Amino acid sequence: MLSFARGVLGAFAFFVSQAALADVKIGFQAPLTGLAATDGKSAKAAAEIAIDDLNAGGGVLGQKLELITYDDQAKSDQAIFTANKLIGDDGVKFAISGSYSAAGRAAAPIFQKAGVVFISAYGVHPDITKAGDYCFRLVRLGPPQGRAAAFFIAESLKLKKASVISMDNDYGEATLQGFLGDVDKYGIKVVNKYNYSLQDRQFGPIVAGVKRDEPEVIYATGYFFTAGPLVAQLRAGGVKAPIVGSQAFDSGKFIDIAGAAAEGVYIVDGFDRYRKDPKLEHFTAEFQKRAGYPPEGVAAEVYSSFDILVDAMKRAGSLEPAKVRDALAATKDFPMLNETLIGFNKVHEVIMPASVDVVKDGKFVHFSTIEDKKVLAPPEQ
Amino acid sequence: MSAYTISLLSIVGINVMLAVSLNIISGFCGQISLGHGAFYGAGAYSAALVAVTTRNLPLALIAGALVGSMLGLIVGFASLRVRSDFLAVTTIGINFLFTGFVRKQGWLGGEMGISSIPPSGLGGTGNMVMIELFAAGTIAFSLYVNASWMGFAFRAVAEDEDAAATLAVNAVSYKLVAFALGTAFAGLAGALYAYFTQFINVDAFDFITSVMLMAMVVIGGIGSTFGVAIAAVALTLLPETFRFINEYRLLVFGGLLVLFISLAPGGLASLFHGTRARLRR
Amino acid sequence: MFYVDLAVSGVVFGCMYALMAVGLTLVYGLLRILHIAHAAVFALGAYVTVLVANVSGSILLGFVAAIAMTPLCGIAIYRILYQPLLHYRPDVPMIASIGLLVFMQDGFRILFGEQGVTFVKNPLAIESVDMAGITLTFAQLAVLVVTLLIFVALHLFTTRTRIGVAWRATVSNPRMAASFGVDAIRVRYLNFGIGSALAGVAGGLIALLNNFVDPTIGYVVSYKALAIIVLGGLGSVRGTLVASLFLALVESYGTIFIGSYLNRDAIAFLALILVLMARPQGFTGVRTA
Repeated sequence: MLSFARGVLGAFAFFVSQAALADVKIGFQAPLTGLAATDGKSAKAAAEIAIDDLNAGGGVLGQKLELITYDDQAKSDQAIFTANKLIGDDGVKFAISGSYSAAGRAAAPIFQKAGVVFISAYGVHPDITKAGDYCFRLVRLGPPQGRAAAFFIAESLKLKKASVISMDNDYGEATLQGFLGDVDKYGIKVVNKYNYSLQDRQFGPIVAGVKRDEPEVIYATGYFFTAGPLVAQLRAGGVKAPIVGSQAFDSGKFIDIAGAAAEGVYIVDGFDRYRKDPKLEHFTAEFQKRAGYPPEGVAAEVYSSFDILVDAMKRAGSLEPAKVRDALAATKDFPMLNETLIGFNKVHEVIMPASVDVVKDGKFVHFSTIEDKKVLAPPEQ
Repeated sequence: MSAYTISLLSIVGINVMLAVSLNIISGFCGQISLGHGAFYGAGAYSAALVAVTTRNLPLALIAGALVGSMLGLIVGFASLRVRSDFLAVTTIGINFLFTGFVRKQGWLGGEMGISSIPPSGLGGTGNMVMIELFAAGTIAFSLYVNASWMGFAFRAVAEDEDAAATLAVNAVSYKLVAFALGTAFAGLAGALYAYFTQFINVDAFDFITSVMLMAMVVIGGIGSTFGVAIAAVALTLLPETFRFINEYRLLVFGGLLVLFISLAPGGLASLFHGTRARLRR
Repeated sequence: MFYVDLAVSGVVFGCMYALMAVGLTLVYGLLRILHIAHAAVFALGAYVTVLVANVSGSILLGFVAAIAMTPLCGIAIYRILYQPLLHYRPDVPMIASIGLLVFMQDGFRILFGEQGVTFVKNPLAIESVDMAGITLTFAQLAVLVVTLLIFVALHLFTTRTRIGVAWRATVSNPRMAASFGVDAIRVRYLNFGIGSALAGVAGGLIALLNNFVDPTIGYVVSYKALAIIVLGGLGSVRGTLVASLFLALVESYGTIFIGSYLNRDAIAFLALILVLMARPQGFTGVRTA
């Protein structure tokens, strides 16, 4: 009887001490269900690895980190619920969005108003950081991504006649604008523009159009699930011109789907995944183990979001959101998994070089790095 | 009240307005519509435009209701031409046409949506109270319509259009009225949504949204205002109550939907009184 | 050449639409239900084809498995879900059907992963043949041939065999057929079985064309197939075939010429609405009211 009571007390004490240790809560929103669940799954796995790694490294300021994950289905209203729930019910002071723009953009003003430091790992809508000084972004905006692609086509590939294929969503539209805004500067002639919606997997008419265009190069935006079939169908249709893809092509699944057709496809602002870096190698192995497939850019961005946030906490020497915010804004030369972050500009957009990758022997390999600051400059307001 | 509760209650109110207004069209008047999201969206976009340019709350709400209703009237005319399941699929088409159109319109923000919609000036709580008042108003209006001569005429049209004519009910004008009224409330709900999120993009008004609204009507019990209102509350809150199961949320939700309809095909209303007979075809 | 290419890609997709939609037409003709969960049966067919093909190493075996599994699924849906709901307004079974689609779609995601599945070996999607200047992948060629074979076989079945004739009679006039002694329940099973098998084949073919199956694969089918059967006049197989080709061609040319104003789905539905305004009963339907 006595031992039973001791056991209960012991268990109680155990829970209390656990609660005392698990102190710094980081709220996390990701599309675990719905149409964006593919990225949500990667984001969640990456977030969990980040928290485990950081805790294994001693946590932050003597405290452990605790991850609180909610599903936002990549929808605005769901993101508003979960942002309010994270702030009100869970009392988080730090939040990371591993979700799309529609969700990040709806959540940002709420976090801003509550004084919660907020990082959008890969949401590309410009308004996310416009919500205020507590909001940060770790992915390059659409327009500079598009400008980098134009730069790469003109300066590295030295090709001038392009067909452009873009997807119908905010990311596709913003990237396309950046690309089209710079083509005249480099003397690139856009023969034709095509667009498709995210549900499309059959691109017969676009392939027919591109064949007629006889371009020297094809610039396309898309996610792996559209890009895979698109590239396969372009090649099967006899189109031989080099294909330059956007960042979101970046997924091992893209190569699985397109198979041999993926060979030689360039990805601007990709994820240089075979770089020699013990941290990256550890992450890649751990992610493969937990998720069952190799990590893509989205996963790396989410992991780095946690990493950079905790780094700022340590440098601030405090868990006060305002101080962490200032330390985060002052981050310089921080090694992220995908790139080395040079710093944030005054509206908290990333300044970093862009890796261009190419598919070779069924793998993404590093091709070149774009460092031109003017091409990659994020907007200042 | 926490901000979380307030945001939840706001969406509950908006969904009640949408479901009850759809019930006026599909429940009372028997015109199946799977495109309610389009009217909701039309209201949201027009209110957002007015709000951004004039910063005038009442004007924006009126614009939302008016534009929703105008679009509804156009679809109402279509309903004179095509019937039952043909109409249902036509309204799906309206929804896809709406979202497809907005995506390519620069003046509507295209894919980027409309941002920096000014706040209503009532604060989060005030905003919610306003939404709940409108939701209550929608329910009251629906009850009033149902009890009036118009409600009788709607039911006659729903049962049998040709027989309605023998009762001196002009099916044409009542169908148009049902669409114009129901979509006006949907447009108003859209306007309230624009003020709630302060940013809209077209994905919030897609076909899936319309299907969810129709599910609320069916689960509530076709034609029952209270049943539909309760179903709207339940279907909005249900996914929140099992938030802890995270990635299994949709699975459970779909399963419950199937299970409920199998057990109570007449909807919530049939559990309380014997409306089963009326729903049979 | 360009215009011919567009036509060819339209026809290939028209065949896909036809296979997806015919099952839906059959169900509607008999029961007046908008069987939206048909899209989930289609997705099941796609998954089974890829998974079995990858395990066995034979794409053909994948198709055989899909054709074996999907009718069982379709018949189970009828027996368990629809039969008790037949006496209610058509929107009741329709919403139940949507619930089932959500459930199954999310089930596929949990079972087979968010990332979707691809064929380990699928030379058909990449390799192509040139015929008179037209480039077709073997997968596209397979779609054309299989669709043609299936519809010829269906035609022979419904005109030359006893059960086929009884089936066709029941679909076009259930009461009359019953008075001639046709077992209506058996016909319903047959109906769901054949319709679902066609959806299964369509799923497998789409998997072959895209070399990719993800949990959302049924989403487009859920509404596009509805548009097709309505355009075809609801319940008419011939109308469905015409509507499938019509919509696919409109989409093919529309994507190029008005794609910067409206997306593919919006183009298809615009065409649908215009046709219905002119012919409220669809291409072949008879106006009853």
